[in-house]
Amino acid sequence: MTSTTSMTGTTSTRTAVPAATDPARAARRARLRTDVSLAGRVLATSWPLETFIAVNPLSGLEDRPFDEAVRVAGEVLGARGTLSLAELRAHHTTGRITDTDLRRALGLRFPDLAEPAGAAGAALILGDTQVSALDVLLADLRHGVALPPPSRAVLTRAEAVPAVAAAVDSQTTKWCAAYLDAGQAGWAMPGSEPGSERGLYAAWRALAPRDRSLPRQVRRALAALPARADDALLDALDRLRVGADEQRVQLRAELTRLPGWAAHVRWRSENGSGVDLVDYLALRMTYASLLLAPGTAPQPAPPSTPHPPSTPQQPSAADRARSLADRLALGPHAPEQLAALTVALERLPASDRPLVWLEAFEGHYRDGLLARLAGQPVPSTGGRPRARAQLVTCIDVRSEGLRRQLEAVGPYETLGFAGFFAVAISFTDLAGGAPCSLCPVLLKPRNEVAERPAPGRQDAAERRLSGLGAMAGAEESFHSAKDDAAGPFALAEGVGWFAGPVAAAKTVLAGPYGRARHRLQRAVAPPAETELSALDGFTPEDRAQFAQVALTMMGLTSGFARLVVLCGHGSTTENNPYGSSLDCGACGGSRGGPNARTAVALLNDTDVRQHLAGVGIEVPADTWFLAGEHDTATDRVLLLDRHLVPPSHHSELDALSRDLEQAGSALAAERCADLPGARPSSSAQRAARHVQARSTDWAQTYPEWGLAGNAAFVVGPRSMTAGLDLGRRAFLHSYEAHVDPDGGSLETILTAPLVVAQWISCQYYFSSVDPHRFGSGSKTIHNVVGGIGVLAGQDGDLRLGLPWQSVGVGDRLVHEPVRLLAVVQAPLDRIEAIVARNPVLQRLFGGSWVALAARENADDPWQRLGDHGWQPWSEPEGTA
Amino acid sequence: MTRTGLTRMTKIEVVVSGQDAAAVRELVSAVGATGWTGLSGVSGLGHNGRRQGRLLFNTQATLEMLITVVSDDKVDALLAGLRPLLDESSGVMFVSETYVSRPEYFT
Repeated sequence: MTSTTSMTGTTSTRTAVPAATDPARAARRARLRTDVSLAGRVLATSWPLETFIAVNPLSGLEDRPFDEAVRVAGEVLGARGTLSLAELRAHHTTGRITDTDLRRALGLRFPDLAEPAGAAGAALILGDTQVSALDVLLADLRHGVALPPPSRAVLTRAEAVPAVAAAVDSQTTKWCAAYLDAGQAGWAMPGSEPGSERGLYAAWRALAPRDRSLPRQVRRALAALPARADDALLDALDRLRVGADEQRVQLRAELTRLPGWAAHVRWRSENGSGVDLVDYLALRMTYASLLLAPGTAPQPAPPSTPHPPSTPQQPSAADRARSLADRLALGPHAPEQLAALTVALERLPASDRPLVWLEAFEGHYRDGLLARLAGQPVPSTGGRPRARAQLVTCIDVRSEGLRRQLEAVGPYETLGFAGFFAVAISFTDLAGGAPCSLCPVLLKPRNEVAERPAPGRQDAAERRLSGLGAMAGAEESFHSAKDDAAGPFALAEGVGWFAGPVAAAKTVLAGPYGRARHRLQRAVAPPAETELSALDGFTPEDRAQFAQVALTMMGLTSGFARLVVLCGHGSTTENNPYGSSLDCGACGGSRGGPNARTAVALLNDTDVRQHLAGVGIEVPADTWFLAGEHDTATDRVLLLDRHLVPPSHHSELDALSRDLEQAGSALAAERCADLPGARPSSSAQRAARHVQARSTDWAQTYPEWGLAGNAAFVVGPRSMTAGLDLGRRAFLHSYEAHVDPDGGSLETILTAPLVVAQWISCQYYFSSVDPHRFGSGSKTIHNVVGGIGVLAGQDGDLRLGLPWQSVGVGDRLVHEPVRLLAVVQAPLDRIEAIVARNPVLQRLFGGSWVALAARENADDPWQRLGDHGWQPWSEPEGTA
Repeated sequence: MTRTGLTRMTKIEVVVSGQDAAAVRELVSAVGATGWTGLSGVSGLGHNGRRQGRLLFNTQATLEMLITVVSDDKVDALLAGLRPLLDESSGVMFVSETYVSRPEYFT
């Protein structure tokens, strides 16, 4: 195909699929494919475990307002989009949500009811009692009868016959687990091998007719399936008597029956691995149609009409009024009193009550946070003394604690920036192997970077590689023996005497065992000094652009310290399938050290410094950029590539190391107050030892709390938050409006880091409000399947979202499920212009997925952006 | 309109969000088109207001333009798939006559 392309354009010419000979059939296939795409929008995209990425499970519904999206999720997925009324009311009992919060939430939703009462809020006379409409709604919120939980409104054809539905699910799990296996299985399913182009449907079609557990006529029909998945799916739809009008709805019902498998197939299809939702649906609906056919179905075939919706009926306002009158003991109520109550209650549908509670829940936190930020001293405009060192951490909420503790130790400055440090790299470590994408999933890697021995350290690197190879070989041999048919017996005889005590030591003496193993690993594979091929992976233009963009975005264009540490993060845990969920989201669910090392290599480059000076960013000659990595499980910060630091900076480096250790210990003590099973420590050193031991404990289901509690995203200078304990609940992105006159940096912050933070926020939110549908349940019954996900038990759906141990303990939620609040200090017209040209921001802010509070200067009051422009934060829309 | 020595075909241009582009590409391939050209980071002004072009750290939130050229026998099938997709998404589609010098590349 001839074409013109731009810098960002791509052209594809591939082997042609045989053209359809029947135009009507071809059009039907195309229509089917689109219906599958549209039906699949309700699914999340589920990454494999090794690169667990926090996503909004309702991302496909983000083009709708939040309220509507959770309603649709209730109908389609049978999932709850908010805490239940009982859970929310329990927060009222504890005082976490107050009547004041509820009144304010009602006032924001219904400005005409806001106190002092307007016409609609005028008092109602109920017997001897006089109440306002707002009082009535408040009473309904607190005492009204709750609705039953949602359930899927449209069921699949197979669900009319439970035995068939179970058989279809079982077949789906069996074949998907076999085909999608990522190297865990001893035997790969034929046709699923890496590089195979057959795809799920073709691989399944070749094997399914041999399944002796199926009736003969089903096997015969499977043997006669068409070669194309879309044709098989169309045939199945015909057999199930699904008409064109109903097609998309039925496809969606089929996808949401086991949304975990479907979500992972969706991810695989977007990553070009030979499987898509058409394959998946062809498999499921073929089984359903054949098993429901006369003679094979355990019960009569289902009707051809859709099943009646099972969405619970909303109680009428009149019913609620009667119930409320009884609850409030208003005595014998006259019809006119009930009518007045009914009119008041009609304003708020019963299904919206949890949303008002949610707004009250959020308002309590948000108002408190904004008040604390408003109380911060306005920074002076004069110069400030040079900091002992500067630490640039990831925006991750866990960094807030580290920054606060380090600033308490000494005259350090800290900043926040997305943890990939603006270098989207494909990284290969010293051991080689497959490169790893270290960047947000919003991006594709742009540069290749490899680790290599430092000059003169080739021998040490070879010793390390040899040791790593020996350890990997031993591990592989052990696992091969375990998986072999006869090997386990010999293995038990040969090493059982050793493995038993080791397992006991790992369990009972996790800390000493972890330290001993660490020493052994260092002895077998001693660390070697290395460097990265950072400069080779970037053109001179890329290096210059990176440095300018990164420093401008974080507002670090002057006042450089002698040491500036770019500090990535990762989490060291044992036996934790969800380990990558604790690593850096901005680095694609991996540790951020390589990104920090790459970025500092570029920032220390002489040519880059010259370019920076040319654009007005004078980095002093004595400033050295250094990489670090914060282990969020142990709160230790490792300073990397110390061998590259010039001798002139060694004394500062040693002092910084000591201070980071002190700050890390203090942070560990802070965290021990919240970690299940940890005793509030009498000393920071003891706390540091505890979290260290915890991170090596293979039985520990709570190695750390991750990003639980996240609730706000603050964009602005550190002076907004310095000295405040934000409880590790806020993403902190540094920004200085005065160095970004065209708003380019702010636009990047709002369209990338904020978007990723919102995904994380939604992942935690939905995993908390419906842990069974949006979360993966308890870790204690998880079975890893195929290396791609977990099952709860040995069968069923691939579980989505975060495990319960990421959001709660016992039967108590630890994470507060609230939507993200973005707090921005920048000119309001700049923010408004950025939102106006970016639909992604219009959806997030306009759809109430994220709230936005902003002010231009530190001494200005907070404003909210609504449909009618900016107005004071505390006033409802349209009342300014 | 005629073009001596050239072969008439149909050009279909679709502008959709980066998130929907994969569905369009899949559809184009599924109907038997032999290729497509993609332009990411497309900016403009339309029914839904102004759209920003390329974003520095987000390639999913911007618009993408996909262009394909197909023979007449594939047009209806492709449109049958594209129209419902655009009914449910923001985006535009342009269908026009075009002429190519090497028709075997497109069939």
